[in-house]
Amino acid sequence: MPAGHGVRSRTRDSFSRPFRKKGYIPLSTYLRTYKIGDYVDVKVNGAVHKGMPHKFYHGRTGRVWNVTKRAIGVEVNKQVGNRIIRKRIHVRVEHVQPSRCTEEFKLRKVKNDQLKAEAKAKGEVISTKRQPEGPKPGFMVEGATLETVTPIPYDVVNDLKGGY
Amino acid sequence: MGFVKAQKTRAYFKRFQVPFKRRREGKTDYRARIRLINQDKNKYNTPKYRFVVRISNKDITAQIVSANIAGDMVLASAYSHELPRYGLEVGLTNYAAAYCTGLLLGRRVLKMLEMDDEYQGNVEATGEDYSVEPTDTRRPFRALLDVGLIRTTTGNRVFGALKGALDAGLDIPHSEKRFAGFSKDNKQLDAEVHRKYIYGGHVAAYMRTLIEDEPEKYQSHFSEYIKRGIEADNIESLYKKVHATIRADPTAKKSEKEPPKQHKRFNLKKLTYEERKARLIERLHALNAAAGGVDSEEED
Repeated sequence: MPAGHGVRSRTRDSFSRPFRKKGYIPLSTYLRTYKIGDYVDVKVNGAVHKGMPHKFYHGRTGRVWNVTKRAIGVEVNKQVGNRIIRKRIHVRVEHVQPSRCTEEFKLRKVKNDQLKAEAKAKGEVISTKRQPEGPKPGFMVEGATLETVTPIPYDVVNDLKGGY
Repeated sequence: MGFVKAQKTRAYFKRFQVPFKRRREGKTDYRARIRLINQDKNKYNTPKYRFVVRISNKDITAQIVSANIAGDMVLASAYSHELPRYGLEVGLTNYAAAYCTGLLLGRRVLKMLEMDDEYQGNVEATGEDYSVEPTDTRRPFRALLDVGLIRTTTGNRVFGALKGALDAGLDIPHSEKRFAGFSKDNKQLDAEVHRKYIYGGHVAAYMRTLIEDEPEKYQSHFSEYIKRGIEADNIESLYKKVHATIRADPTAKKSEKEPPKQHKRFNLKKLTYEERKARLIERLHALNAAAGGVDSEEED
């Protein structure tokens, strides 16, 4: 009999709980709140059977568009043929983690606002743009000894000594 | 017989999954806790309060707790060891004391939230099932009963505390099936029996039987009662007075405690991360100096 393509096919490893983390899931998953517009990662928790997303969405990140009693609506991009569709799925909170993809951006925003406020107080003009890493500065090579290497003339007799 | 087959091999320990800490301690039932704490996501940060009742051998603890990722926050608490302040000094773990503790906690919370005038609750404890009616201005304070790990049998003292909180005016979803005095045959709560328990009638009855049959045992068992002049007939009026005092002033009193005394240390105090790093740098300096005055380098 062939393998079959059911909804949870090929999920033997991805939906299984990690080593020595089976059983009750820690309560902080239930205590987190999600607001519309937050970014969340979808990561299936095999211990909870209700409200599981399809295996395609495991590992995807999307934005919250709806909050219900026990589940969250997440908008995830999916490539279908030659276009990308924004798919709206509903997932129970056990299968969702807050995403840290915007964390660096949020911190930078706060820091930039602070820098701008300070510069404004001092009256100077600053640019808060990120610059890409440029080429390394030039330096003098210290403590290098010069060793001249010349090729030795080809010696037929010695080279053939090993074998034919 | 030198070789004994090892029961717990290394493989056993490598695969062993340790339960949660509070499960190891046998203190928390996570199945129940998940269901009590889970708040509707579309209620966002609204706290969901639990009415926690725990009974130890000598004390009854009643708390209103809300859950947080950092740790549960206690809104208000009442202990039966506070009851001497309200005139009850003996029998601090019986059904009547549980009722008083629940009543004290309920009134305390309502006073804290300035709802105590609106929701008086059931002033005269009759033992029959009483549920708070919502008034026009504010909805009643809602909490969910958290019994912990006890076996919920009919007449358990946690339900005495529950009854106390209900009569105080809290909105706690409940059923009368487990109050003392519910008979399984009739499937009905006998309010008279429940009222007897709330006012310590069962204790009084035991006192009376002991006085008649075994006076020596009565002297030894109820010695504290006798010392304070509490007899089988005054028990009910004693509890009535306690209830009235509780309703009059349920606010908590902060107890002044002296700072704990310093004990002599028998082992070395553990160093902090900075202290350990500093020590390492010192030792490296000393080594380098001893090695003959080479430029000492600071190790990061």
